[in-house]
Amino acid sequence: MARIMVVLAAVVVAAGCGGPKGYRPIDETRVVFWDGQAGDVAELVKEIVADFNRDRTGPPLESQFTGNYSDIYRKVLSSLQGGTLPALAVAYESMASEYAEAGAVVALDDYMNNPEAGLTPAELADFFPVVIETNRYPAHGNQMLTFPFCKSILMMYFNKRVLAEAGIEAPPRTWDEFLAQCRQIKERTGKAAYAVSVDASTIDGMIYSMGGELVEDGKTLFDSAEAVRVFGVFQALGEEKLGYQIPPNSYDDRVALVGDETAFMFRSSRHRIYLEEEMGDRSRWGMAVIPQADPARPATVLYGPNIAVFKTNPEQQQAAWDFIRYFTSPEVTARWALGSGYLPIRKSAAEDPRIEAFFDEWEYNRADFDCLPFARSEPNLPGWQEIRDLIETAQASVLAGTLTAEDAAKKLKADADAVLAAAASGRS
Amino acid sequence: MIRKAPLYVMLALGAVITTFPFFWMLGTGLKTYPEAVSPTLRFLPASPQWHNFADTFDAAPFAMYFANTFFVAALVTVSVVATSLLAGYAFARLRFPGRGVVFGAVLATMMVPFEVTLIPNFVLINRLGWYDTHLALIVPWCANAFSVFLMRQAFLGLPEDFFDAARIDGCGHFRFLAWVAAPLVRPMVVTVALFAFLGSYNSLVWPLVATGSERMRVVQVGLMVFSTGEGMRLNLLMCAAAIVILPTVALYFLAQRHFMEGSLGSGIKG
Repeated sequence: MARIMVVLAAVVVAAGCGGPKGYRPIDETRVVFWDGQAGDVAELVKEIVADFNRDRTGPPLESQFTGNYSDIYRKVLSSLQGGTLPALAVAYESMASEYAEAGAVVALDDYMNNPEAGLTPAELADFFPVVIETNRYPAHGNQMLTFPFCKSILMMYFNKRVLAEAGIEAPPRTWDEFLAQCRQIKERTGKAAYAVSVDASTIDGMIYSMGGELVEDGKTLFDSAEAVRVFGVFQALGEEKLGYQIPPNSYDDRVALVGDETAFMFRSSRHRIYLEEEMGDRSRWGMAVIPQADPARPATVLYGPNIAVFKTNPEQQQAAWDFIRYFTSPEVTARWALGSGYLPIRKSAAEDPRIEAFFDEWEYNRADFDCLPFARSEPNLPGWQEIRDLIETAQASVLAGTLTAEDAAKKLKADADAVLAAAASGRS
Repeated sequence: MIRKAPLYVMLALGAVITTFPFFWMLGTGLKTYPEAVSPTLRFLPASPQWHNFADTFDAAPFAMYFANTFFVAALVTVSVVATSLLAGYAFARLRFPGRGVVFGAVLATMMVPFEVTLIPNFVLINRLGWYDTHLALIVPWCANAFSVFLMRQAFLGLPEDFFDAARIDGCGHFRFLAWVAAPLVRPMVVTVALFAFLGSYNSLVWPLVATGSERMRVVQVGLMVFSTGEGMRLNLLMCAAAIVILPTVALYFLAQRHFMEGSLGSGIKG
């Protein structure tokens, strides 16, 4: 499926060069927002949308459930070819980058800087820098092509029962401690410590936590010492049977953690709300920043999609921006964070009485929020969506023992650089 | 009887293996959420959560989704049967230049993956102004090569004498098709109808792409409300799936006899 998506993107971007000069709204009577939220969170989005629509004139904004993020991506790519687009849609940086290549995305800088309907410098400073930075696209003149929406952070979840069973009092703070604890767990309990969900963002976050970088001067740094150390962790997990890979797109790692079968899980901070229910008892588990090479200089990765506004017509674009501004206002961001489990993206949210009460309720409730100041975003370069697949292939190969950490890093570096070069030459 | 015992045992085993996922789905649908996602393999719920059925319908407007689905599936079924009868008959009984080539071209459409036609189809319905309408859900699926092939095979199985006799009595092609040939291939008509209905009823990606508003949604898209990027409400999803599957099971039992005859006649048993 991923390959098909890459081909689709290439077709759309190529066609975009000679394709429709302008796009039309997919619905002239409504400001359509393609969203991926389902269930209770979708209801919350609808409530917020209803509140937004209440005090304004013009076509109403309508959030439409459009499947998961890949479904939305596929539908936007199809719509690009059709020449009609929604007013806005959720999009990861890599996806927005592809849309921008087709000339379909509105740069939000002018809207943000508008003295009447934009954000004041004080308001802008209230956002955590990383959530803004991740929406600036170096390949597109560092323009603000998207705006933060569903943000979460890579966290480490741990099962206290399994740790206690192995005689471990506190979760690891460094990667060396992590591997040592995995070995101790294996030795004393016979259990694999970590059920691995193969995921590019986890690798990116781990490289950051090792003190590494992902890209420099248009080339990837997957052969760096930090990246090799990351793959080395998975090599050790695989070789010593300290961890095992779960099926793709499953949540078997969470099932294993809940069932006291493993000690660790690395997932986005939004898994907390599921674990709360599945674990039942808060004393059984906790969450913390992922292990680091140097805990004094921590880093982790910022997850989650943003909102892209499409070039439809000035009225719909303005309405889309107005909604973004409303959605990220301090009051709504706090309401959104509490109702959805995503992070409040504004610093002032911590002063909201509802958020304060939430933080005070349990010691781990603010663990992810505390990571925001040092969270890092992933590169938003054309071609990165394809590179994510390569990263996951490398991770799975090392875990399965078909490649050593060094070989996987070297191969990943070569393949990823080729993708970046191809994407860059396609743009020139 | 004793001689047949191994056969019965094997058949019973096959029946258990086949129906196990269905009963597992039902069992999971009646569990609490923590129980449903628990790694412990327990077939039955500790205490059946009958309210899960109500919770399922509260989670999304399933009544509307069902109404949409039946409306779309019914029209698709009627259309597919009509087009397959006409095209199948034409390919089986009419002599015209290029018949083999045209039939080959029709069959060739079966080799094109759905993903390849997704964008062109979407562009087409968009330009026709059909996005988010019933037309988008129905028209692209009103004919399909496999059904045409099945009907052609069925018509080829009819003796030529039937047509000759009808022609002597003054029957044209349409009357022969409507009054003689179609009733004779009824098992295949039922099979084609069943495939068309199930295909439409179970479709997910196309309705997801071709519609946007809730009023146009179908049940398979509705099931997605229980899944998110971080997990799924497994108990409610299984509960909803158990409800959604009921019409197809009922339909199969109703059409079982014809379906078996049709399947055996076309050599597609398996």
